[in-house]
Amino acid sequence: MAEDVKPTRKNLMAIEDRIELSERGHDTLEQKRDGLIMEFMDILDQAQDVRANLNQDYERAQNKINMARAMEGDVAVRGAAAALKEYPEITTQSKNIMGVVVPQIESSRVKKSLDQRGYGLLGSSARIDEAADAYEELLESIILAAEVETAMKKMLEEIETTKRRVNALEFKLLPELYENQEYIEQKLEEQEREEIFRLKKIKAKKEEEEKEERAAEKAAAEAEAATAD
Amino acid sequence: MSTTGGSNPEYVIARVRARRSALFGDEEYRKLVRMGPAEIARFMEESEYETEVNALGSRFSGVDLIEYALNQNLAKQFNDILDWADGRLYDLIARYLRKFDAWNVKTIIRGIYSGASREEVESDLIRAGEFDDRLFSRLLDAGEMEEVVSILSGTMFGDGLAAAYEEYEEVGVLVPLENAVDRAFYEQLLEGLVVGEEAKQYREFLEAEIDFRNARNALRIARSGADLDPVDYFIEGGTLFRASELASLATSPDELVSKIRDSRYGDRLSTALSDLEEADSLIGFERALDAALLEYADTLGYVFPLSVTPIVSYILAKEREVDNIRAIARGREAGLDPDAIEEELVIL
Repeated sequence: MAEDVKPTRKNLMAIEDRIELSERGHDTLEQKRDGLIMEFMDILDQAQDVRANLNQDYERAQNKINMARAMEGDVAVRGAAAALKEYPEITTQSKNIMGVVVPQIESSRVKKSLDQRGYGLLGSSARIDEAADAYEELLESIILAAEVETAMKKMLEEIETTKRRVNALEFKLLPELYENQEYIEQKLEEQEREEIFRLKKIKAKKEEEEKEERAAEKAAAEAEAATAD
Repeated sequence: MSTTGGSNPEYVIARVRARRSALFGDEEYRKLVRMGPAEIARFMEESEYETEVNALGSRFSGVDLIEYALNQNLAKQFNDILDWADGRLYDLIARYLRKFDAWNVKTIIRGIYSGASREEVESDLIRAGEFDDRLFSRLLDAGEMEEVVSILSGTMFGDGLAAAYEEYEEVGVLVPLENAVDRAFYEQLLEGLVVGEEAKQYREFLEAEIDFRNARNALRIARSGADLDPVDYFIEGGTLFRASELASLATSPDELVSKIRDSRYGDRLSTALSDLEEADSLIGFERALDAALLEYADTLGYVFPLSVTPIVSYILAKEREVDNIRAIARGREAGLDPDAIEEELVIL
């Protein structure tokens, strides 16, 4: 509220500094927002591909496991799964995209060779191999999707925050500062005008008094001269 | 029910033929593929599987009920055959049915490895082999892998498991133990088999079983690209491959396929081999191998009606029936198309 600000020259200077800083910040944030949107669009394309692959891999894995359970029996599939020893491991690191920290997920021991799956080769079948293969691929897709979609969500949150900041600067802070600046300028001008008017008034009054004094003196002098004659 | 005394193929074959006539035919399969799991269970309740479905109905439901009922019925039927058989015939049948002993040993060691409960492991056993309840009870009570290996020391799996146990302790995965169990089964198939006229065809059938197993394993290794020596997975006894040539064949799937094509199995497997050359998947080829083995055993059963082959042919047909019903039930549960399920079935 402009009325809350004391209309002083010091405040005016402070507000002018804030306006300059806010305008600079606004430009920078606008650039950041545009940059983030461009990065986001790239990630969005990637995420759409990853999601499509994930759905495809899921369908395939479900189909393979259903066929394996159907043809080999649930007991055989569960038995083969129970033989697994080395479970996949996931490590997360982070990378920075325009100030946004997004995860980078590294996986190991997801894809396994025939001898690493734990079940014996001699008594098992290609159906179980193919179901295991399909699930390993699905797991890789899930890990990739987790990385890309988390990055996408974080970017989206950052874009939203930046957009709010830009809007706050553009529609709230800067207009208020401009209003305050204008208010103080007007007040200062008004004060200046009042001061000038006051000075003029004093000057006129002083001149009037001096004139009266001079007239009185003159009258006194004339009276004195008449008395002397 | 013993290896001593005279053989009684006539009696066993007569009983097996009666059982064979009760197996599901095309008509039943056509009905089953259009039923849901509950309807299939109901259908089974009115067939040979009635006792098992009723007995297990309170413990299991849905497709699990069907699968466990099928396994229990399979075990009962095969135990009956072993009960009926005497002398040399018993020995010949038991050789093949020991595959269920191998299955059960693998189930038990997987149970111990994964920390499954005794009840879970017990329900997954198929008691169709030679192991008796006392041995199963001891195995199920074993809490450590070493104990299982020691309990099995007097069986055909003993030596192989004892040797594989050291490797298991080193690598920590079940692969050496499971391979030792399967290898013990395949190697005893032909071990000490005296080949008289009546067993000549049976020997050929067992050789085909070993050849097909070697072929599918070599192809799996070749296709997987894993750094495995196929010789380690080679089973002696077949006629199709020699261990020495398998290493080079496994690096070239095309050569492997042409080797099978030129063999005595070439004609039976010609379509499947052509499909295999075009497709990535081995599944169709494995199905063709199963179908070829089933057909082979069936033909032998007709050509030599008073040998062990009609019995083996029934065993394979019964196994296939169990596989087919389970496939239909699981396929229907998963929402697979009836035509797709029908394609996967192996029906003689």
